Amino acid sequence: MFEGLFYLFVFPGLAFQVFCGLAFEWVDRKLLARFQRRVGPQWYQPLADLIKLFSKEDLLPTGASGWVATILPLISLAAVLTAGLYIPVAGFTPFSFEGDLIVIVFLMGIPTLAYYLAGMTSVGIYSILGGARSLLQYFSYEVPLLLAFSGPAILSGSWSVAEILKSQAELGPFILFQPVGFCLAIAGLIGKLKRDPLDIPKAKSEVVAGSLTEFSGGKLAFWHLTMDIQAIVGIFLLINLFFGMPLGISPWINTLIFSGEVLLVIFILSASSSIFARLRIDQLASLGWRILVPVGIIQLLFVILMGV
Amino acid sequence: MTKNIIPIGPQHPLLKEPISVNIEVSGEDVLGGSLRIGYVHRGIERLAQERTYVQNVHLIERICGICSHVHTTTFCYAVEDLLGVEIPPRAQYIRALMCELERIHSHLLWIGILAKHIGLDMVFMHSWHNREIVLDIMEALSGGRVSHAANLIGGVRFDMDAEHESMVRRKLQKLGDQLFGVLDAIRTDPTIRARTIGVAPITADQIREYSVVGPVARASGVAVDMRRDSPLPPYDKLDFNVITYPEGDAWARTMVRVDETRESLKLCESILDQMPEGPVTTRVRRKVPAGETVIRAEAPRGEVFYYLRSDGSEFPARLKIRTPTLAALSLIPVQLSEIRVADIPVVLAGIDLCIACADR
Repeated sequence: MFEGLFYLFVFPGLAFQVFCGLAFEWVDRKLLARFQRRVGPQWYQPLADLIKLFSKEDLLPTGASGWVATILPLISLAAVLTAGLYIPVAGFTPFSFEGDLIVIVFLMGIPTLAYYLAGMTSVGIYSILGGARSLLQYFSYEVPLLLAFSGPAILSGSWSVAEILKSQAELGPFILFQPVGFCLAIAGLIGKLKRDPLDIPKAKSEVVAGSLTEFSGGKLAFWHLTMDIQAIVGIFLLINLFFGMPLGISPWINTLIFSGEVLLVIFILSASSSIFARLRIDQLASLGWRILVPVGIIQLLFVILMGV
Repeated sequence: MTKNIIPIGPQHPLLKEPISVNIEVSGEDVLGGSLRIGYVHRGIERLAQERTYVQNVHLIERICGICSHVHTTTFCYAVEDLLGVEIPPRAQYIRALMCELERIHSHLLWIGILAKHIGLDMVFMHSWHNREIVLDIMEALSGGRVSHAANLIGGVRFDMDAEHESMVRRKLQKLGDQLFGVLDAIRTDPTIRARTIGVAPITADQIREYSVVGPVARASGVAVDMRRDSPLPPYDKLDFNVITYPEGDAWARTMVRVDETRESLKLCESILDQMPEGPVTTRVRRKVPAGETVIRAEAPRGEVFYYLRSDGSEFPARLKIRTPTLAALSLIPVQLSEIRVADIPVVLAGIDLCIACADR
């Protein structure tokens, strides 16, 4: 009983994920700033921003539904926190079961749906455009992302993240067998997190802040927290599927390797958001369906042949 | 699909200055747009009639925050034309040097804004970082980063010594070294090309029909450049290329500015090489003889046109200013059709809006 509550609220649950989410935001902002020859924020800046947002007045335009706007960020936050529970952190998995990869993918899709609904229930034109774009973007990146995630699952013969991690300890990191799959997964993750260069639903110069234009105060703070935790959960998942680690040595060494891998993926994400310009939504759709999906299918065939 | 109106402005993250563009969209397709200007009208032409010529130099400087120097230069040449004085050659070269520095800083600013609009913040930051070098040079020469107060009627306010000259050369060298990498990256970057090639093309006929000038016209293959067509001294003694691109799309508009930045850097060098010795001011009378004149000069955004009429007093009888942005603004509704919503920032950035100039 007590142990379960500790898992839920402290590690690897709420407190740990909020900490990791904020830490991710800081590392990401600092890296972006250094790429742009800026100094970047202090380590406590993401937390300070969050506290400041909570203290701000919470406004909604006339005509928008208050309880829907309140419940959407909370549902998204709950979904990503739950997804985080099933992902092994440095090899530590309290709640693993066969098929949890599918549950994680499902839970990670909920914030996108909530984001779309948030845009549609607001009354502003920017929100509606942002919401519609987020759904269009979802159809472009989700299939390549799923194809990329199926690779490790098929190779290890299990749809449980913990099992995939175990088989990598024996076979070696899956990124060696499917580097293309890893690139697809990175592209899909960028699309899922709505980061540069795929920040099409919230492109500032086009649709102001997309679905979140009319949000303020605590609701906006919950949205930001959701995005941060979604990012860190996605990164953890990617590491478990493609990098792996030698299990059964000391947990401290595992933690060290895990942290290094997390930093590497954050670096890749920050670098790609620095060096690419934002794509148009039609360019993204054509990139997704004409290039990423065929490449993903070829990679999958390759993996199946390799498994045989 | 239903039609919606996206209001861009008077306040919008896309705009640095207030204009209002109402854009009619259907989903992601832009159907058309309408424009409203006049939010920063300050009545400068009327104000100029209530101030003396000497005071007006400082009023004219405040028309624009970016091309402030070229406005005062044109005004001073107009007054000197009516007075019948020719300023010393050294003063002419210092005026031209400041004009070219201003062009570099304006184009770098523009490149940064375009990059920001298409979500490429790194180019934005690097381009503005390099722009700081130009601002430093201008501050070291004149004392002001944005409003330089460099011009007087009858010359310029400051002189350059050998130390200034070596400082300018050193900093321009450093600027060139840092900048060319960024400019080459802009030319070859696939995502910038994807976002600009073929977007909102303007034909040369449209350029002539709407009397558009400057880099926008040159990007459609219309080679107008007041430095060559109606040169103020010392541009008739300087050698430079007028950059034109035939395509007329957002990509050509980017490349014209990229190449002009390099060309202006070269021009700065040759101005420094040719800089004659001598005084920088000449004495002039306060009262300007009756008469009228027209002076045109090439601002970073194109031709500025000054019409000045004097009735023989200390105050101008009429001052008419035509700025390049006003003509380019009339092209916005033309460009806002058959594009996507994501192209709106590229279109609006492409003509290098300077609303303060346009509204005056």
